[in-house]
Amino acid sequence: MTAMSETATRRSLALRFRGVFQDTITVLWRDTIRTMRQPDLLAFAVVMGVFFLVLFNYIFGGSIGAGAGIDYLDFLVPGVFVITALQGAQQTSLGLAADLTEGVTDRFRSLPMSRAAVIAGRTIADAVRNVAGLVLVALVALLMGYRFASPLGALGAIALATAVGYGFSWLGAAIAAKVRQPDVVGMLSMFWLFPLMLASTAFAPAETMPGWLQDFVTYQPISAASDAVRGLASGSPAGGDILLTLGWTAVLLLLFAPMSVRLYQAEAR
Amino acid sequence: MPSHARKPRAGPSPLTVDVLSGILDTMSTSIANTRTTSEPVVVATNLRKRFGDVEAVNDLSFLVNAGQIVGLLGPNGAGKTTTINMLTTLASIDGGSAAVGGFDVKTQPDQVRELVGLAGQSAAVDEKLTARENLDLFGRLYKIPRAERRQRTDELIAQFDMVEFADRVVGTYSGGQRRRLDVAAALVANPTALFLDEPTTGLDPRSRAELWSEIAELADRGTAIVLTTQYLDEADQLADEILIIDRGQIIASGPPKELKRGLQRDVLEVHVAAGDLDRAVGLVGEVDGLAYDADAGSIGIPVGDDVDRSLELLRRLQDRGISISDFQLRRPTLDDVFLSLTGAPTEREEVST
Repeated sequence: MTAMSETATRRSLALRFRGVFQDTITVLWRDTIRTMRQPDLLAFAVVMGVFFLVLFNYIFGGSIGAGAGIDYLDFLVPGVFVITALQGAQQTSLGLAADLTEGVTDRFRSLPMSRAAVIAGRTIADAVRNVAGLVLVALVALLMGYRFASPLGALGAIALATAVGYGFSWLGAAIAAKVRQPDVVGMLSMFWLFPLMLASTAFAPAETMPGWLQDFVTYQPISAASDAVRGLASGSPAGGDILLTLGWTAVLLLLFAPMSVRLYQAEAR
Repeated sequence: MPSHARKPRAGPSPLTVDVLSGILDTMSTSIANTRTTSEPVVVATNLRKRFGDVEAVNDLSFLVNAGQIVGLLGPNGAGKTTTINMLTTLASIDGGSAAVGGFDVKTQPDQVRELVGLAGQSAAVDEKLTARENLDLFGRLYKIPRAERRQRTDELIAQFDMVEFADRVVGTYSGGQRRRLDVAAALVANPTALFLDEPTTGLDPRSRAELWSEIAELADRGTAIVLTTQYLDEADQLADEILIIDRGQIIASGPPKELKRGLQRDVLEVHVAAGDLDRAVGLVGEVDGLAYDADAGSIGIPVGDDVDRSLELLRRLQDRGISISDFQLRRPTLDDVFLSLTGAPTEREEVST
C-alpha cells in the first residue's frame, strides 16, 4: 500500500515536473512569436544601449576617462552591456503587467497548466531577446573602436550580462505580478533601476564617487556585474566579481521567483 | 422561429471518462471514484463570494446536466461573472461548495480545469497571435498531442467559419470574428462543462444568431453549458432553465416558458383611428391595468391567457363601427418578468464586480 502510493506520488511528481517544463516551452514559444511581432521592443533595448554608448563616451568620456586615467570606451562598453540586460528586465516587468491586464492571462488561469510556467516562459523569452540586443550593442561598440580581448571573452561577457539580467527579470516579474498596472510598473522600475544604475561602476569607477557611497557602489549587483563583465571582456582576472555576480543572480532568483509565482496566483481584483 | 430552435433532449449522457478512470487511477491518487453517470455535471451549492462589504454572490445553488443550457440572467453587477469565475477556479469560493464533473472546485482545481471551457469577458485570447496560433497555444497547454491538436484546430476553424481570417493577427479582427474565436478557444479540449460569460455582448444580430446556433448545437452534443447574459431574448432563446439573479441572489428560476406563464400578463394591443379612441376605451369598459396612448391611437388591454376574451373584445369594437387598423396579442417578455420581480428595469447601472 505505502509503496504503491509512494510510487504514485513520485510518478505524479515526475508528471508535474514534466508539465512545468512543457508549459514553460509553450509559453516561451508564445512570447517569442510576440517578440518577433513587436521588433520595436528589441529596437528600444538596442537604441538605449547605443544611446548610452554614444552619450557617455563622447560627452562624459573625456572627463571621466582623464580623471581616472583610463581608456573610457574600454571601461564603458561592459557597463553598457549590463545596463542593456537590465533594460530587458524592465521590459519583463512592463510586458508581464500588460499581459496580466489582458484577458488571456485569465484564460491561462482557467487551464490545467503550470502557474510558474507563465512567468518562467516570459523571463526566458526576454533573456533570448536580451542576447540578441547584446549582440547588436556589441557590434556597435566594435564599430566605435572597441575590441574584446578574445572571442571567448566576448561570449562570456554576453553570457554573464544575460545571467544577471535574468535575475533582475524576476524582480521585474514580482513587481508586475503585485502591481498589475503597466504605467505604475513603469514608474516603479525607474525607482530601482536608476539608483542602481547610476550609483554603480557601470559608467564611472567607484573611486570617483563620494566615500560614504563607495561600499554600496562596490558591492551592489550592477557594479559586481559591470566589473565581472569588464574582466571577461578584457581578459583580465575577475573571479571574485564573477562569483559575486552569480551570487547576486542566485539571490534574486531565490527571492523573487517564488514570490512572483505566488503573487501571480493571487486572485485578480 | 429561427433555425436554431432546439428539440427537447434526452437526460444526461453517460460520461466516457469512466472508461479512463482505471488508467488514471494509477497516475493520480486524487481521481475520485465518486463519479457516477447520473450526476449533474455542474453542482453549485450555497455559493458565496464577498468583496469587502459587498455580497457579490449570496447563497447561490443550481445544477446543470449534460446537454443542458442554464442561463444566468441579470443586470451588471448581479454576480454572474463572479459565479462563473468561482466555478472555473478563477476566483476563490468564500462559502458553500461547487463541483464540476464530480470534482470539487476548491480541493481539486486541476481536475476541474481539465473539464471546463471558458469564454467571454474574463477569458480572452492573445491579441498578438493569429486564431490558429491561439488555438494551438491552448491545445499545447492542455497537452493535446501535436497531430490531434492540428486536427482540432482545423476543425474549430471550419466549424466557426474562421478560414478567411484564421492566419491574421487577432488584433485586426472585427467584434464578431473575435467572439467566434473566443468561443472556439473554449472548446479546444472538448470541455464537459462550457462557461460562456456574455458571449454575444456587442455583436450584430446576424453574428449573434450564428453564435446562438453554435451554442445550441454544442448542448445537443451533450455539453453542459452555463451562459450569462443581460439579454432576455438570449436566455429565452437558448436556455432550458433560467436563473434570474439580482444582487448575488436567485430571485426566480425555471424554464423560460414557465417563468413567463407565471405572470399571466398577455396584453391585447389594439390600434384604432385617433377619433375613435375615446369611444373604443369606453366600449372596453373597466379593466384592471388598461392603458392607452392617444397619440398612437392604441389601447393595451390585459387579457390574461383567455383567448375567447380577446376575440370577444375585438368583435365588440368592430360591431360598434370602430375600425381596427391593427392588433396584436403581446406575450410577456422576460423584461416584464424582471420588472415584476425586482420592481426595477433591467437596464439598471451598477458597478461591475
